[in-house]
Amino acid sequence: MNSSLRKAAVATAILAGLGFASQALAGRGLTIKGSDTMVILGQRWAERYMAANPGAMIQITGGGSGTGIAALINGTTEICQSSRPMKQDEKLKLRDRYQTMGVEIPVAKDGVSVYLHESNPITSLTMAQLRGIYDGTIVNWKDLGGPNEPIVVYSRESSSGTYVFFKDHVLGGRDFTPRAQTLPGTAAVVNAVVHDSRGIGYGGVAYARGLKICPISPDATRPAVAPSEAAVRDGSYPLARDLYFYLRKKPAGDTGKFIEWVLSPEGQRIVLEVGYFPVK
Amino acid sequence: MILRSGGLVFIALCFAASLAAQESDSTSEGNREIAKVAGQVEGMTEQVLAIQAEVDKAKKFKWSGYVQVRYEAGEADRDTVRVAGAPPTFTSSNLERFFIRRGRVKLTYDTGELSQAVVYFDGGTDRAIRLLEAYVSISDPWTPLRQHQLAIGQFNVPFGYEIERSSSIRELPERSRAENVLFPGERDRGAKITSRWTPQFETVVAVLNGGGVNHPEFPNTDPTRGKDLVGRARWSQGIFDVALSGYAGRNTTPLTGPDVETDKTRLGFDGQYFYDFPVLGGGSLRGEIYAGTDVNPDSVKALVTTPSSSNPNRLLRAGAVADHLATDFLGWYLMWVQNIGERFQVAARYDSYDRNTEVDHDQFERLNVGVNFFYDGNTRFTIAYDMPTTDVSAGPGRFTDPHDNTWTLQAQHKF
Repeated sequence: MNSSLRKAAVATAILAGLGFASQALAGRGLTIKGSDTMVILGQRWAERYMAANPGAMIQITGGGSGTGIAALINGTTEICQSSRPMKQDEKLKLRDRYQTMGVEIPVAKDGVSVYLHESNPITSLTMAQLRGIYDGTIVNWKDLGGPNEPIVVYSRESSSGTYVFFKDHVLGGRDFTPRAQTLPGTAAVVNAVVHDSRGIGYGGVAYARGLKICPISPDATRPAVAPSEAAVRDGSYPLARDLYFYLRKKPAGDTGKFIEWVLSPEGQRIVLEVGYFPVK
Repeated sequence: MILRSGGLVFIALCFAASLAAQESDSTSEGNREIAKVAGQVEGMTEQVLAIQAEVDKAKKFKWSGYVQVRYEAGEADRDTVRVAGAPPTFTSSNLERFFIRRGRVKLTYDTGELSQAVVYFDGGTDRAIRLLEAYVSISDPWTPLRQHQLAIGQFNVPFGYEIERSSSIRELPERSRAENVLFPGERDRGAKITSRWTPQFETVVAVLNGGGVNHPEFPNTDPTRGKDLVGRARWSQGIFDVALSGYAGRNTTPLTGPDVETDKTRLGFDGQYFYDFPVLGGGSLRGEIYAGTDVNPDSVKALVTTPSSSNPNRLLRAGAVADHLATDFLGWYLMWVQNIGERFQVAARYDSYDRNTEVDHDQFERLNVGVNFFYDGNTRFTIAYDMPTTDVSAGPGRFTDPHDNTWTLQAQHKF
């Protein structure tokens, strides 16, 4: 055997070895990672689906939409849960590795809710007022008709999809006030506002427990709207959004079956149970 | 009886009073405990906030990098191993060898939305640690999405597609020959403005020294006012992307007496089409063309005298025309990449570079094929086979292609 053939044979053997390694590395079960807003919803879906399909294995983890998208790009999750659309840069990174821009599937609807302490007398805010609170130009509740108390602003980390959504839709892409206290999850924001009469926070509608959701009006001429199912579905609530599954390729096999079930009436009933709104 | 009853009432009252006192004591004790725990929680909250502030500071530093280690082997015992780069380095005494192609570390300090600094080092190839990139990037404060960015320092030349594409994500171990020759080292010093007018449309304009980081006299090359200009407009639809690039500068050939300046112009066009097969996975077809005028080492050799001890002058030969030191070139490549499932990827590229379009037998052509295996999110293995076609004169009118094909086995870890 001459040198070239020998090297080609070695290369073929290595490829065959990698093929076997690929089989060995293929994980069992479905991994879903990403949005903290969606983590409870994902867990509920997984529990019910695994109960109905005993052979199925689904693992749900949070970390934030940004973390989930990064995991989708580097191949450590099959499905990314995201509470915001993927950015162009992220799609291009995915394309660099997989030659595709990914597949986006809306699986639920949410209204990003503005949380106030139950004792807060404020009954509504306009988008401009909300922007003023979060960019730091409004710092006292008295400027909004409330008590003479400083506003304590709670926000999320930059890996959060809700953070990005809020920044884009409320602040128009501009920076949050440096006074905003960054908290690691929506539950932490809710907990902070529940215990702080001067506090304001934001997050998914399903997390609102023990506090007041503040209705929002697009501008001073239009009525304030609460994030009800009807207002979120018809888009009259200014901070209505879709919650997404992202995949690297079109769903097939076990992943396809799970997503089909998530979008079925049964899967969408769980969306309502958790506190979000169905996509259909 | 009455006395007995009264005694019982008295005892009961005393017991109730005692209980009330105990309850009062335990309530105040409970309140003290609650206050103590609340104080502890408040103290811990302050500690957490202090730690969070430190973590937030540390998060502004972002470390990344990758290591590429290789085993390279020539085609036959009599062949040489071609080390990547332009001009390619050949060695006959190291036919099969382990090789560290790239060992790179990048540090980005991101202060927020308006500015950042990057320093990027490579310690591969010959063990020497080199500064690959160092620049300050400033974003405009007047657009919400920071659509315009100014970068000043040392960075990739913003021309074409493959130059700015990181070696850590490229599907084949090396770039095309045209890119290697025209933009050796890929980087230069200068200033550039990147503007993203829409999510799909981006322009880049840059002013550069022009020598490039692999120039023998870098960073002292081109200390004159004459800087090179480069620009690119890219439309990135997602499925189909196209870009047009232009480069205008001057090359200086040092001579005894006045130096000769010749044109350095480059025009580039690149396009990428991406598709997705349902079961197999994504794939893409890509192409890029480089055309223009550049100083030609063969022409310099033919038209300029070589200094010697008897005649140390470096002059144009008698009858030589200075403009002929530069020639028109043409380079291009076509590439196909196909993912196979989640872990495998195959790639093939045919590339060509003709340094003088008016002369035969000086062009380089090559077929590269490769397979990538993605072991996990950070590590991949590559097997590539490199088949260059380079004419070598074997006598008057006879040209042959030497046996210089190369196998490359590469492991990469990205962090």
